[in-house]
Amino acid sequence: MKKFLKPHEREHILGTVYGWPMGLWFTLFFTVPLGIIILYSFLKRGLYGGVEWEFSLTAYRQMFNPSFGKVVLRTLWISILSTFICIFLAIPCGYAMAKSKHQTFLLFLIIIPFWTNSLIRVYAWISILSTEGFINNLLIRMGIINQGLKLIYNNGAVVLVLIYMYLPFAILPLFTTIDKFDFSLLDAAHDLGATKLEAIVKVMFPNIRSGLSTAFIFTFIPIFGAYAVPLLVGGKDSTMIGNIIVDQVSKTRNWPLASAFSMVLTLISLVGVFWMLYNGKREQHLQKKTTQQTLEHNIKSHHTHRGKA
Amino acid sequence: MNYHTYSRKTSFSFSYIMLALVIVFLFIPLFVVVFFSFNSTRGMRWEGASLIWYEQLIFNSPSLWTAFKNSLIIALSSSITATAIGSLAAVGIKWYRFRGRSYITTVSYLPMVLPEVIIGISMLIFFSAVRIRLGMFTIFVAHTTFNLPFVFMMVSARLDEFDYSTVEAARDLGANERQTLTKVIIPSIIPAVLSGFLMCITMSLEDFVITFFVSGPGSGTLPLYVYSMIRYGVSPVINALSFVMILGTMVIAFTFRKFLKTVAASS
Amino acid sequence: MKGVEVTVKRVSRSYGDFKALDDVSVGIQKGEFFSLLGPSGCGKTTLLRIIAGFDYPDSGSVAFDAKDILSLPPEKRQSNTVFQTYALFPHLTVYENIAFPLRLRRVDAKTIDAKVQEYVRLVQLEEHVYKKPSMLSGGQKQRVAIARALINEPSVLLLDEPLSALDAKLRQNLLIELDQIHDKVGITFIYVTHDQSEALSVSDRIAVMNKGKILQIGSPYEIYEAPATRFVAQFIGETNIFSATVLSCEPYEDEYMLCVDVPALKEKVYVTDAEAQQVGSSLDFTVRPEKVRISLNPPRSTNKTLNTFKGVVDEPVYSGFQSKFYVKLETAAETQVKVFKQHTAFLEDGPDIEWKDTVYVSWTAGDGYLVKDTER
Repeated sequence: MKKFLKPHEREHILGTVYGWPMGLWFTLFFTVPLGIIILYSFLKRGLYGGVEWEFSLTAYRQMFNPSFGKVVLRTLWISILSTFICIFLAIPCGYAMAKSKHQTFLLFLIIIPFWTNSLIRVYAWISILSTEGFINNLLIRMGIINQGLKLIYNNGAVVLVLIYMYLPFAILPLFTTIDKFDFSLLDAAHDLGATKLEAIVKVMFPNIRSGLSTAFIFTFIPIFGAYAVPLLVGGKDSTMIGNIIVDQVSKTRNWPLASAFSMVLTLISLVGVFWMLYNGKREQHLQKKTTQQTLEHNIKSHHTHRGKA
Repeated sequence: MNYHTYSRKTSFSFSYIMLALVIVFLFIPLFVVVFFSFNSTRGMRWEGASLIWYEQLIFNSPSLWTAFKNSLIIALSSSITATAIGSLAAVGIKWYRFRGRSYITTVSYLPMVLPEVIIGISMLIFFSAVRIRLGMFTIFVAHTTFNLPFVFMMVSARLDEFDYSTVEAARDLGANERQTLTKVIIPSIIPAVLSGFLMCITMSLEDFVITFFVSGPGSGTLPLYVYSMIRYGVSPVINALSFVMILGTMVIAFTFRKFLKTVAASS
Repeated sequence: MKGVEVTVKRVSRSYGDFKALDDVSVGIQKGEFFSLLGPSGCGKTTLLRIIAGFDYPDSGSVAFDAKDILSLPPEKRQSNTVFQTYALFPHLTVYENIAFPLRLRRVDAKTIDAKVQEYVRLVQLEEHVYKKPSMLSGGQKQRVAIARALINEPSVLLLDEPLSALDAKLRQNLLIELDQIHDKVGITFIYVTHDQSEALSVSDRIAVMNKGKILQIGSPYEIYEAPATRFVAQFIGETNIFSATVLSCEPYEDEYMLCVDVPALKEKVYVTDAEAQQVGSSLDFTVRPEKVRISLNPPRSTNKTLNTFKGVVDEPVYSGFQSKFYVKLETAAETQVKVFKQHTAFLEDGPDIEWKDTVYVSWTAGDGYLVKDTER
């Protein structure tokens, strides 16, 4: 390159050469496919599967079919329940890990099951929960029951296995945020008269909001879009949105409908991500206030609420 | 790390008990699987120890080895591709301003946060729309696509700690762009590149949902093989395979960690 | 090595609305130790980066020995830079860092070895040659950076606040070493700093900059004793500075004696050894605190050229070798005169002048100076 380039021209060229290969890859294999899905959701379903090039809102109207409505509602309550249990379990875990002297070891313990292939983890629960599975065998042997209990192929099993799969996703972000939390604030809260629980709720929780929202998003979104778990451990009445999408693509071959559902799923996920990012930015902004001020404010508001001086 | 009187008083508190219970909860299913891989009979009644299922696994599972080979080929090829493209992109995007930069940055994080069903289905529909036959190539493309964000993220994080004036210094001392890249930039980001590579291999070997949608006949990977076995019902061969896979993952992770430590120590 | 003359002509550089450099021109002589001195944001680093090639001006020219260099990329210019953050290659040893420029040009191993050893000796790092940068202290890292920048035998060495990350004692030592290296090597040094004591101690000439403009170029002595603008007077060292109007101007000895009205002091002040000024023009009157005498007794001389004021000591600050006094004037209570007094004799019973003492401050007319540019 004999031609002289000014520094910012050179930056421009280098950036383009380094960055655009990935840009092209994503455009071709991610943006375009997503675009096709958006497009298909507005087209008419083809007679033998595929699409016909005619604008139509049929797919979106079909989404409101009552049978789908049931599935959507089910997906919602399963997701919310599983997410909340995950977070409820993850908070004390993250707290204990953050305070521990063996952090790396504990991190390892949490991550190792996660390294195991996800199918194997699902399979493990199948072999434990099924009618000839571990639990039933044990209970029969011990004479507690005569016949196997139906522990699997229902909503309960789906919730249980989803929690099992995504618990580490909730623990890790919470652990990271709690680890950065300044525990001496809790000592100061004690000093100002708060009880242990009061201190945790009034002082720690507001300061780990970004960890909470990250944990929520990284748990809720994958669970909401789950496919394999409801397929393998759920019953006929345990299907979720992910299953609808796949069925519409492969079995019913109603691609516009599958695309419409995919659009909705994508939008919900994107909303969640932006909410999480927004929370992260807000927390950075809040941390500009001194932590002492926030602390005293929280304690005082609690005391005045209780009628104390 | 903060150690205060507060923490010492609460050593056997609620949170520690919860943590212990959670860890037990996470490990028990795996122990059950491994335990029953040594069972002498099919089924979940313990009837004595035996290595019979391991024999079955190794000698009597023909398609297993094809699936394993396919998994390896795809893991290696997609990881190498993703690492190369992603690392280079991280360098370009982190330091330079150019047209399309914010678009690429945004797009690069999306595959990580969208549910796998969406990615799988969109790629399936895409391949059928452009009439590419489903097979090893499509799986390779899909894996590279979901691997890229992780490499990009990890190398970008490393670049955050990298002093850009070293690049200016290299130029100042006479290096052209190729020399700067090979002698200064790449040696400094190697730990992150290798971590990214390892991450890609792990994720590629264990992916199920996305691979499920973009694979064709005869191009099954190991997770797809496991899935078809599960469909046939519970069999201790799966248990044996599970144990082998668990061991394998841990061995890979440990050796790479040691390898990374030596690389990090020498630089 | 040979140094070159660096000529900067009317260079301007803006970033959006912000003018980093505004029509800046300076001529740096061959082999000079030249400093660009100013507060953060004054444009000194921008100018240095333009000379190095990492930035490009919107207008103007830069030449080495009358040959334009703006059309050359940084790797082709005859200048090398020592960075504020050292910019050492973390994966290479000290030896390889210094050898880097030669390896790029495929110089043979024997020559590389000889040259590297030569420059290692120049910066006194013989014992650390095979260490990696992470094992070095700040001062050692900076020496590696200097050796690495010199091994190419550039005509100009550009130094971007190289000592700002080091602690005070180390800074002093390294500064002296830099001066010695400059003497040995003989090339042009362009040194950027915000620390005026650094600039004053080693530079041949200094350019004082503020807000993208060069305010004054001169030797350290000129900058200190004869500041061209109010900003320069206040930025370099400490001073007393007040607005003044010229009342009269008469020839006196070789130059002129001026009488100026200084409203802040509520008195007339005499200044000798000054240039001619127009009666009625507005200037700034300045006198350095160390040139003001302070005593409990009024001065004995009643020479017209001795300016004397009576006042009360407001805040004495003792720093061992000297005391700083802030004297509130009797006739102008809102005005404080800063006086520095060195304790040249052993203080038997402690400082003789204390808080709330009534004192007389005075200076001879030749010790004051009139600053022409009161705007900047």
